[in-house]
Amino acid sequence: MKPTSLLTLPLVLAVGALVVVSAQQTPPAPTSPAGAGSGQRGPAAPTGPVKRLPNGKVDLSGVWQGGGPVGDIKMGLAKGEALPIKPEWQKIMDARQSKDDPEANCLPTGVPRRDPYPWRILQTDTHTFLLFEGNIHSYRQIFMDGRKHPADFDPSWYGHSVGHWEGDTLVVDTVGFNDKFWFDFIGTPHTEQLHTVERYTRTNLGTLVIETTIDDPGAYTRPFKITFTARLRPGEELMEYICNENNGFVHHITGPAKEF
Amino acid sequence: MRAKQLCVLVAMSAALWAPRVSAHHSFAAEYDANKPVTLKGTVSKVEWTNPHARFYVDVKDDKGAVTTWNFELASPNVLRRNGWTRTSLNIGDEVTVEGARAKDGSTMANARVVKLADGRRVFAGSSGGDAPPPAN
Repeated sequence: MKPTSLLTLPLVLAVGALVVVSAQQTPPAPTSPAGAGSGQRGPAAPTGPVKRLPNGKVDLSGVWQGGGPVGDIKMGLAKGEALPIKPEWQKIMDARQSKDDPEANCLPTGVPRRDPYPWRILQTDTHTFLLFEGNIHSYRQIFMDGRKHPADFDPSWYGHSVGHWEGDTLVVDTVGFNDKFWFDFIGTPHTEQLHTVERYTRTNLGTLVIETTIDDPGAYTRPFKITFTARLRPGEELMEYICNENNGFVHHITGPAKEF
Repeated sequence: MRAKQLCVLVAMSAALWAPRVSAHHSFAAEYDANKPVTLKGTVSKVEWTNPHARFYVDVKDDKGAVTTWNFELASPNVLRRNGWTRTSLNIGDEVTVEGARAKDGSTMANARVVKLADGRRVFAGSSGGDAPPPAN
């Protein structure tokens, strides 16, 4: 590579990375027009101290943006770490076509994938709910009453989740997934053996760090961790989003998922 | 400008231009940021629906033949949060649209900038939810 290229390549990569990171992990710049309501370009996330519920636990409530992989789950790995995918599953992933992405077909993202839509955490004494505006307009329920996973279940998109607190971190253990969803746009796979442990830590009022351990001996040689950060969208409310309303153009999506 | 520098600028523009995170599917799997189109015509239909709002524009060629183009926008929620409404664009509006053409060569594109005949911008922003506020 010539010196000029060496000088300019990092700049191009940095610009590209900035676009991706800003789209996935931070709220857009505060430029809401009058009458638009707060939202997509609402105020910046606050940085004050976290609040607590009457029971002393950290209040995780609010409308959040991001917090999981969108384009490529590898963005959540530690620096320099490679995805420990088994070669046979790498082949399956490489053959996947973008048009077959369940999310593009208005099916759920599963865990830990996120999308560009806001979502809300709602805590009760017995459950924690994650309410998703988009893709799909659905929810996850996390049992907080100390129960265990059932011995038998039908594999599902969001699995069976039980939660408990470790200090100020909410730990969510989930099993019972189906193998239908992808981890990201590029088709990173998993099997029904998937077991996730998510650790939700609200590091300040506007920041929620979500560290997820992915354990799937079906598709990976070892467990691995990913970390993504969700940002609070102050003043935001979820809106209705019914993906299936008019999704008649998926056939225009072309090419391998890995080239997203 | 030297060719190498030009290439770098083009690459940077493409990186900035293309919304890497589309609404619910990969932008790059459906549209080619390197195939920009600018089309002028008359709005014939508006679909304020999920997962993407869409509008259709009848474009006449030099011989008067009309081709209908299908333009994709962000979801209605994203557009509304950025100040647009289902009446921002109406049937009969004369518009000039800048966008990226569908990879499969169909008369479909992702709309980036939509200008009315009087110069006002109606929608500006594609599936990435990056629409700037109305210019009024």
